[in-house]
Amino acid sequence: MRILTMLWKNFWGGSRTLLFPARPKVTQRFRGLVQFDPELCSGCAICKFRCTSRAITYQAGKGEFTWGYDPGQCTFCGRCVEGCTEHALKEGHTEHALSQESACPPIYLQEGELKKVYTVKRKAPAPKPATPVAPKVTAAIPESSTGGAQ
Amino acid sequence: MSLLTALARLLIFPGILFAVPAAWFFLWVERKSVAMMQGRVGPPFMQPFYDFIKLLGKETPQRAGVAGGLMRAWPLIAVSTAAGAVGLLPVLPSSGGFQGDLILLLALLEVPSICIIAAGFSSRSIFGEIGSAREAVLSVSYNVVFLLAIISVAASQHTFRLEALAQLPSTPLRWVGILAILICLPAKLHLNPFSLPNAEQEIYSGPMVEFAGPELAMWELSHGLEWVAATGLVATLIAPQTAFWGLSALVFIALSFGIVLLLSALAAATARLAIDTTVRFYWQCTIIFAVLAVSSALFMRIRS
Repeated sequence: MRILTMLWKNFWGGSRTLLFPARPKVTQRFRGLVQFDPELCSGCAICKFRCTSRAITYQAGKGEFTWGYDPGQCTFCGRCVEGCTEHALKEGHTEHALSQESACPPIYLQEGELKKVYTVKRKAPAPKPATPVAPKVTAAIPESSTGGAQ
Repeated sequence: MSLLTALARLLIFPGILFAVPAAWFFLWVERKSVAMMQGRVGPPFMQPFYDFIKLLGKETPQRAGVAGGLMRAWPLIAVSTAAGAVGLLPVLPSSGGFQGDLILLLALLEVPSICIIAAGFSSRSIFGEIGSAREAVLSVSYNVVFLLAIISVAASQHTFRLEALAQLPSTPLRWVGILAILICLPAKLHLNPFSLPNAEQEIYSGPMVEFAGPELAMWELSHGLEWVAATGLVATLIAPQTAFWGLSALVFIALSFGIVLLLSALAAATARLAIDTTVRFYWQCTIIFAVLAVSSALFMRIRS
């Protein structure tokens, strides 16, 4: 009989789903799409390594590298953002028409439709800081005790 | 009933012209009410119609080793017999009918089920065959109760004419028969908890698994028409028919609607039963109603 009470409550209590074009409001805790800043990226590919859903692709080339992100494959776990030492990755507010208050992940009809690929030139390696010449340490060799006290 | 009246009833009211939109409407009511009971939005009002049109526009892929003519014929036979069954319903008072039209209605109601069994076996799919075997077992189980209940109602009222049955006042025995028929309806319409022939998760909708495009559209339509015919039959037996045809039609539609809601609530509240449990339910539990109804009807007939 409890199931009937539940059905009755559901029947009059409104629905928890929406018709197709309507989309639910996302919560404040929703992380959003990953945004990439090519200026800051050093191409270490740690994000690709940490991405368990394989949404991030990385290909190293000569003097440049390509970095790709497919939101359709992303699970929004945020591990890439956490692991980015250069702070080149952020979780999204503006790009991909995504704002945390109103929009949820975009609808896509074909695989890879939302994928974005960036080709980034590698930065010239920063000049190495001049290292001070270490003073030669001459180890005091103890005199041999051969032929000492005789 | 003249040929012209018969044609008008079959093609216009309560036949195809009325029954097809009514079938879509009943399918929508069922889907929508189940969705609302489960806390979902459910389909929009026109969805069954859109589904039908969309399926009509699709192509049927070539199926190797399957008799294409047969596969096309079964859904058409199912649709035409279900529409014929709806055409026999005495929705309006003094709408004609003939002695024994109840028996014809029962036969026509049974044909779609036979078509489903045959279609599953002709599709040469293992899932179709399992579904057909289940449908056959289910059909044997519930039909005994269904037929006994209707025979008891008819025998107690001394007529096999639908219109006469609709006009006669209800008796307690008739209510027992109606209850037995109502218990059989979920099995006849493949609803939970007796939806095992077309179980989507286990056997991919069973006999329907190899059907696509217009053929599947016809199956959907025949299912909707079965809804109209079966609920209409119960509404005919329950509703007191009055001389004023507008009120009669309104009561008929309201009762059919109520029965659809009742069956939807049952479908939403229950889970699918296994075949042995279903058969045991009909042969051990429900048949008591039917035997009681028939024996009382025969007793009353002997006494009178």
